[in-house]
Amino acid sequence: MVVTKEDVVAALTSSLSPSHLQVIDTSGGCGASFDVEVVSEKFEGKRLLERHRLVNAALAEQMPQIHALSIKKALTPSQWKPQSENEEPAKI
Amino acid sequence: MSVVCTSSSSSLSTLLLRRRSLPVGSEVTTFFLIGSNNGSSLVVKVVSMQLFGQSLKYSTKISGDSDTHEDFRSTNKLEGSGISVQDVVQQDVKINPVMIYMKGVPDAPRCGFSALAIKVLQQYRVPISSRNILEDPVLKEAVKAFSNWPTFPQIFVKGEFIGGSDIVLSMHQNGQLKELLSDIKGDNSKPSGE
Repeated sequence: MVVTKEDVVAALTSSLSPSHLQVIDTSGGCGASFDVEVVSEKFEGKRLLERHRLVNAALAEQMPQIHALSIKKALTPSQWKPQSENEEPAKI
Repeated sequence: MSVVCTSSSSSLSTLLLRRRSLPVGSEVTTFFLIGSNNGSSLVVKVVSMQLFGQSLKYSTKISGDSDTHEDFRSTNKLEGSGISVQDVVQQDVKINPVMIYMKGVPDAPRCGFSALAIKVLQQYRVPISSRNILEDPVLKEAVKAFSNWPTFPQIFVKGEFIGGSDIVLSMHQNGQLKELLSDIKGDNSKPSGE
């Protein structure tokens, strides 16, 4: 069974109810290599490690067939907003 | 295996089994006779080496001074009370401040994610210990079970599981990694380019 982008989107959507989800197939067409960005309320109050664990768990069924999964972003809605509004990083 | 040794209390006899051509996970046990209490019992130091890929892990125990002969029995510590693969992982992360289980070796990673993680960690000039999980499927499964994490590389700092390459990169970018590694002795704990 080849895991498609749609499979990944479906699995993440049902487990994490993301307010933003981007899944990019990075395999060049042969499947099973993905970059993902997830914004979900379920990440609230959780460290990055725990957020990645949630994503891994959501894809547990597909994981054996996925060759590479890169979780580019795992953010809460409140973290996502300032990032999407300010394209340039804020000067501190 | 039979062992016949006579030893004065001051001499040290060594029996070494050749480790070449042994399968991964097999164990080499060396007996050092370090004393003789009376005519019938010996004090024996047993050093066990377990083979995992190209690396060795050591464990040492010293027997009591009775029932010596039982100690000479061939042992299989993987099934018995000795070190298991899980113990090896536990020891790895305990002993090594920065431990990475990866595909390939630091000088020649065999996966882009492992290469990325190594590249990031090397910027901090801290000692990095690694194991190549491609060489050892048993170890690979043990590490996955230990951390409850499905992919490699896996990075442990000061005994704690940190995550995979995405997390290490993210912690590198937001400064958390610098903070985490700051008290680990190295040539120079500052990241390059600062």
